[in-house]
Amino acid sequence: MNFVRKIASAFLLALLICINQSGSTLAQTKRLQTLDVVQRWYALSLELVRHTPTYTPPVASRALAYLGVTAYEVSAASGVLTSLAGQLNGLEATPKFEQGYTYVEAIVMQSALAASAQALFANTGPTGQRALRRLEETLRWEVAGTVPPDIRERSETLGKAIANHIMRWSETDGGAVIENLGFPEKFKLIQGEAAWKPTNVVALQQMPLLPNWGKNRPFAMPSGATCKLPGPPTYSEDKASEFYKQALEVVTAKQELTPDQKAIARFWADDAMLSPTPPGHWISIALQIIERDQLDVDKSVDVLARLGIAMADAFIGCWDGKYQYNLLRPVTYIRRLIDPIWEPFINTPPFPEYPSGHSTQSGAAAFVLTKFFGENFAFEDTTHSKDGIKGRSFLSFDDAAAEAGISRLYGGIHFRAAIEHGIEQGHCIGAFTNALRTRH
Amino acid sequence: MKRQSALSIIVLLSQLTSNATWAAESLHFAEETSSSGLNSVYAGDWEQIVGGGVATFDCNDDGFTDVLISGGTGPAKFYRNASEQGGPLKFASQTSGLELDNVSGTYPLDIDSDGKTDLVLLRVGENVIMRGLGSCKFERANEAFGFEGGDAWSAAFAATWERGATWPTLAIGNYIDRKEEFSPWGSCTDNWLHRPAGVEQTFRSALPLKPSFCALSMLFTDWNRSGTPALRISNDREYYEGGQEQLWHVEAGSEPRLYTEEEGWKRLRIWGMGIAGYDLDFDGYPEYFHTSMADNKLQTLAAPTKDGKAKPDYKDVAFAKGVTAHRPFAGDDLKPSTAWHTQFEDMNNDGLADLFIAKGNVDRMPDFAAKDPNNLLIQQPDGKFVEVAQTSGAWSVANARGAAIVDFNLDGLLDLIVINRNDPAQVWRNTSAKAGHWLEFRLEQKGANRDAIGAWIEVKNGDKILSREITSGGGHASGQSGWWHFGLGKETKTEARVIWPDGTIGAWQPVNGDSFYVLEKDKPAAIWTVQ
Repeated sequence: MNFVRKIASAFLLALLICINQSGSTLAQTKRLQTLDVVQRWYALSLELVRHTPTYTPPVASRALAYLGVTAYEVSAASGVLTSLAGQLNGLEATPKFEQGYTYVEAIVMQSALAASAQALFANTGPTGQRALRRLEETLRWEVAGTVPPDIRERSETLGKAIANHIMRWSETDGGAVIENLGFPEKFKLIQGEAAWKPTNVVALQQMPLLPNWGKNRPFAMPSGATCKLPGPPTYSEDKASEFYKQALEVVTAKQELTPDQKAIARFWADDAMLSPTPPGHWISIALQIIERDQLDVDKSVDVLARLGIAMADAFIGCWDGKYQYNLLRPVTYIRRLIDPIWEPFINTPPFPEYPSGHSTQSGAAAFVLTKFFGENFAFEDTTHSKDGIKGRSFLSFDDAAAEAGISRLYGGIHFRAAIEHGIEQGHCIGAFTNALRTRH
Repeated sequence: MKRQSALSIIVLLSQLTSNATWAAESLHFAEETSSSGLNSVYAGDWEQIVGGGVATFDCNDDGFTDVLISGGTGPAKFYRNASEQGGPLKFASQTSGLELDNVSGTYPLDIDSDGKTDLVLLRVGENVIMRGLGSCKFERANEAFGFEGGDAWSAAFAATWERGATWPTLAIGNYIDRKEEFSPWGSCTDNWLHRPAGVEQTFRSALPLKPSFCALSMLFTDWNRSGTPALRISNDREYYEGGQEQLWHVEAGSEPRLYTEEEGWKRLRIWGMGIAGYDLDFDGYPEYFHTSMADNKLQTLAAPTKDGKAKPDYKDVAFAKGVTAHRPFAGDDLKPSTAWHTQFEDMNNDGLADLFIAKGNVDRMPDFAAKDPNNLLIQQPDGKFVEVAQTSGAWSVANARGAAIVDFNLDGLLDLIVINRNDPAQVWRNTSAKAGHWLEFRLEQKGANRDAIGAWIEVKNGDKILSREITSGGGHASGQSGWWHFGLGKETKTEARVIWPDGTIGAWQPVNGDSFYVLEKDKPAAIWTVQ
């Protein structure tokens, strides 16, 4: 039934275009359908993040940033929003609507997002490829309706040109090629008591994930090293040391986990291949708010682009810190010094501990969303409802980020310092995104 | 003292190296696909990304194992085994009634216990039971057996006879909703449990096993030696939401129920594709190998007990044993692997079970090896495994799915057949000249469950007891019936016994190596020879 309604609206849209090539009625109808295109491509992209094996959290953040910039630049192409070209590192002027010609924005958006998604998820499996094809075929037909062929072709061409421009830019950032699912085949592990060591018996994960990710070109901040970290407490095995105390806190936390703390640990676990990953989780939050508050397309693409950019930069900054400090995980320290058979509540990710990735990116996400929507913006997050995980309510984005951060301590995979410093680092990184100009 | 220890270590290392070398050098396979007459392809596109199985069974009572190969979009192909004992492998294509299309997997089972093997054909569409008529002829039996074939993408199978039952219980694992085009993720369809309909020799309506998480392999197995097999299901995490691997209590007279965390079950989420079980460490409990993408898992009970009350808490020893098989061991394409059918068998007859893993890219997934060689991992005396697929001649980088390890020419050496997706199936003859001694058994009991599914065969081998569970299911889309093989190493005489499905423990019986025996309940072991 829903499908039929969409077909009907496509015909209505086409009729309005033919009769009247400008005017508020047309604009309103057009922009509603453009948002539908955005939402459907994002929905598929979150599925593909979950189901494409290279899509660990840093890789996911990168793709969601480029997808966001693509959608944003389509809206900027008509002149409604200020282009991010010249504001984002290395992004040159993007293609625009040509004056004197008619375009259908929904067709431009559909064409651009289809091309971007196909490029970003080119390595997804056969089911993902099938879903990409089906969505493109369906949306292409829906948005085209009876739009005259010349307008349709012009709009599609512009959409592809915008996507191609963004994708060419993406190829030079250092993160375009992921080999061996992100785990280097050769990597010299640093020795030492404080150094990271493999934490599981998965052969592929005896090397740490994406050790060079911190060297990638960021989007809005100058470099991965821009937002410095204070560093973890000095490594020590002395029971009176701060380091030991923070380890003991992890042990105690697990011993005393309440049902709600367990729920929090699982809610924010966001495991790769089993969820949309942490950056996908925050994109999902934004999509839920867009739907709940019926945001218009310009606001929607603005917030999606900003959120994607901030989280991608957060992972670059965080990874720069991770491989600078190369700190061992709680499970390694605790088994060595406190309890030889200790197990964390959730799986320990296969890369160094400090800072906490979820904390840095959640800090950045909350910083950007708070600037966009305001302080004390309450929302419910049902990202994992399809997995049978109950939604959680938050009083503000900072509230959610703080919970995401502390979930890693409940889960037994981070010390407190990594969480607190991570959130602070995220704020620093998010400030560069907040400085972007999107409105004239 | 220290020098003595060092010397001991050197001697031990030297022995291990020597054993590994022996394993590598003693095993030889000759590919006989073309000369055997085998010519079959598991063909298809998206709906054939999984499946591609083979059933091996004897349908003309000559002792030689015949073959049915899934054809995907094409018809399944039946081959009568025309080999001679000890000779090259020969297969004769023959019309059998089994030539259905859209067959993904196939398992042999004497459902009506008439002494003639029936076949369960898992299909993309309606599943079909084909009743054996003798002389390798089969007819559809869904209606006669009260079997609801349904309409799903079926990819996994297991069978058991519940306590006191005269008719089997069949578990069928179903994959995603193939009609869901836009977002097939999370569309796992229900697995089915087909239980007997009381005294009548038919099935009840299929019972959905909820929740279901896109099963690609199932196995009824007595994992804790309680006498009642449970249903282990391996699920593909690519498609489920909120899912995990599963172990079900399936007890006569009770509704099936999942093992819980309170009972000790630990959550595991993998791209589950195949299961093989075997008691590798001689403690009486099976270890389980689970195939997946990249790393595979070898599970052993974390805390085995002798009272049948162990918790289903397993630790992964794949890394320690050298069987992660996470990427090609050779070749120029070293991206992560994709594993499907798996099977433990003693390929060199040294008394230690070895491990075969079929490998093949799902469908042009660029992050995984496109030329992904199958693994043949030989167990060494220290419990670790060494790869010999290339050196032994069993090398293939075709796009494998199902497989079976069978003694096709009844020479005591196990041969190998592998089904490839959109590539011809392949068969290798085991031509090893220096393998150890061996035994092969066929079980028989009167009445229901004639082939004694759920029994355990035990064979003394030096100071160890080799034991294997007689199961129907597991692997990937591929099932076997007929001879059960043991390697004996240097032993030429030993003893064997059967623990029958009803718990009856048969007496130890003297048996000679390099022989075939029929073990019939309450009767002395009967030697069998080719007529």
